[in-house]
Amino acid sequence: MVNIDVILAQVFNGIQFGVLMALLATGLSLIFGMLGIINFAHGSLYMIGAYFVWTCMQMLNVPGKFWVGLIITLPLMAIVGLMIERFLLRWMYGQPVVYQILLTFGLLLVIQQSVALIYGTTPLPLGMPSSFEGEISLGLFRYPVYRLFTMILGLAIIFGVWYFIERSALGAIIRASAEDPETAKTLGVNTRRVYTWTFALGSALAGLGGGLHAPLIGGLQHTIGTEILLICFIVVVIGGMGSIRGALLGGIILGIVRGIAGVFWAPASDFVMFAAMGIILMIRPQGLLGRGGTR
Amino acid sequence: MKSELNAPQRSFMAELSPVLIMAAILVPTYFVLPSKMMAAEILIMAIPTLSFILLLGYTGLLNFGTGSLFAVGAYTAGILLARHNVHILLAIIAGVAMSGIISIIMGYFCIKRVGLIFALLTLAFNQLIWFIIWQWKSFTGGPDGIWGIKREILELGIFSINLKPTFNFYIFVLILFLLLFLFVRRLIESPFGKVLMGMRESELRATAIGYNPETYKWIAFIIGGLICGLGGALFALHQEYVGEHLAHWSTSGEFAIKALLGGTFVLHGALIGSGVFIFLADFLNRFPVLAKAGAGLLVLGAIFILVVMFFRGGIYGGVEKVYNFFRKK
Repeated sequence: MVNIDVILAQVFNGIQFGVLMALLATGLSLIFGMLGIINFAHGSLYMIGAYFVWTCMQMLNVPGKFWVGLIITLPLMAIVGLMIERFLLRWMYGQPVVYQILLTFGLLLVIQQSVALIYGTTPLPLGMPSSFEGEISLGLFRYPVYRLFTMILGLAIIFGVWYFIERSALGAIIRASAEDPETAKTLGVNTRRVYTWTFALGSALAGLGGGLHAPLIGGLQHTIGTEILLICFIVVVIGGMGSIRGALLGGIILGIVRGIAGVFWAPASDFVMFAAMGIILMIRPQGLLGRGGTR
Repeated sequence: MKSELNAPQRSFMAELSPVLIMAAILVPTYFVLPSKMMAAEILIMAIPTLSFILLLGYTGLLNFGTGSLFAVGAYTAGILLARHNVHILLAIIAGVAMSGIISIIMGYFCIKRVGLIFALLTLAFNQLIWFIIWQWKSFTGGPDGIWGIKREILELGIFSINLKPTFNFYIFVLILFLLLFLFVRRLIESPFGKVLMGMRESELRATAIGYNPETYKWIAFIIGGLICGLGGALFALHQEYVGEHLAHWSTSGEFAIKALLGGTFVLHGALIGSGVFIFLADFLNRFPVLAKAGAGLLVLGAIFILVVMFFRGGIYGGVEKVYNFFRKK
């Protein structure tokens, strides 16, 4: 009934989607691992990123405006992140986790409805960047160039972030500030500034994910962030909270499972995701590659 | 020690008086509010908010599954009324029971975890239920929802009430709400409620004394589910329509906003929060520009952030602080 190349194409599609989600989840995981805050507004940051790219494309009239927009989006998103951390989240460190969740949930609403107020609620179309239209042959099947490109770029960025956090000197400072803030302070680290910039980095990753994903979703709407947020949670929960490698693994597993489930019965793909999240949370709440013994 | 655990002994009238005062305030409220539907909606929405407060304020559990449990009650009552023409009270009881059954299952899995993981688990379950409602078109109507729920004459043996007029329905809802309020107040003052609050403060200590936190939390979760079911069943009657959006986690989020707004450490918070939320949303949506983009949610979200950051006690807590400030002087 189902041809092998159809399944293969779906698996490949799933991996591509998974890498993109892993890019978002990396930011979410980074913020959770370093700041201890689960950010319900992460999906909203993704949405802002997509809208920034759209706005840049409307305002600019240069060749390759999509890429220019994407590059402009990065520092803009970092600024958004800085402001959120500085004015809202900073007050929440050390507070009960319940209130941290509720605060970021409120932030989600505010960002989502502000975007609805500014851009309206009708879907905004965003074309494929012209240089990346068309398909490329991958042996058994043909694959859209843009999707292939986002996959490679996403993997490269995730690897870059992982290398930065786990291997570089600055990354060591970040990890130290998360694991033992007192000692880090004694050694002269300004931990508050480290937290601020970590959140900015996470926001920029979310915005980048939104910008890259934007041409693949039919039209931008203010609700896209809420939908993606739950997928991000699932990825982080599967892979392990606070782990970048976990985010990548979780993303790819989720993408493949979703892709294969979609071949046989399209509606099943969402069901499988939430069921997977529930099962992992119950059996192994720290996720596949998670470290801590969070109960 | 034992006597302290027992509920305070009050005379029958002392037990009833706060409820009578509430009734005295709430009945005329109907005539003050800008729309006739609003009064009943405020009361109905206060019911799941009460469930949220029971779990967050008194037990320390952040439940993101209230929306789906609310929807289960609404769908059960709605389907029974629209397709099988059962007695209204029976439909309400069925809705409550169904939500109870779902929350037994949901609670069994969720209460094993605390804090963040508990919240995420309830969120996952909430979306599973939403997804089933969304996909099961032949039974739930999928995206179309359930139409044709009739709110008609309620036969109660010798006498009957016509629930069609909004005022009659409001009084019906008010009676059920006040009964529920009495029950929940009694519950949190009972030894059971004291154990819940003890666990909120320190689960370790409660365990050391010899209580099993999981059993207590499970029961609290199920009671919360039953309350949500009652709210849902009444909401189906109120709207005479049930839509899948009720089960979406954003509905759970709205209950969270209402609870925090009113105050999570006191049961009256549910009513205050629900009232302020619905009144404010209605007021803001009267401006066409704002209504189109759903700006009511924007303002409420901003207020919500401020409440979470600075006024954990919500409106009730704020008023209480001001009152105490002036009384001290």
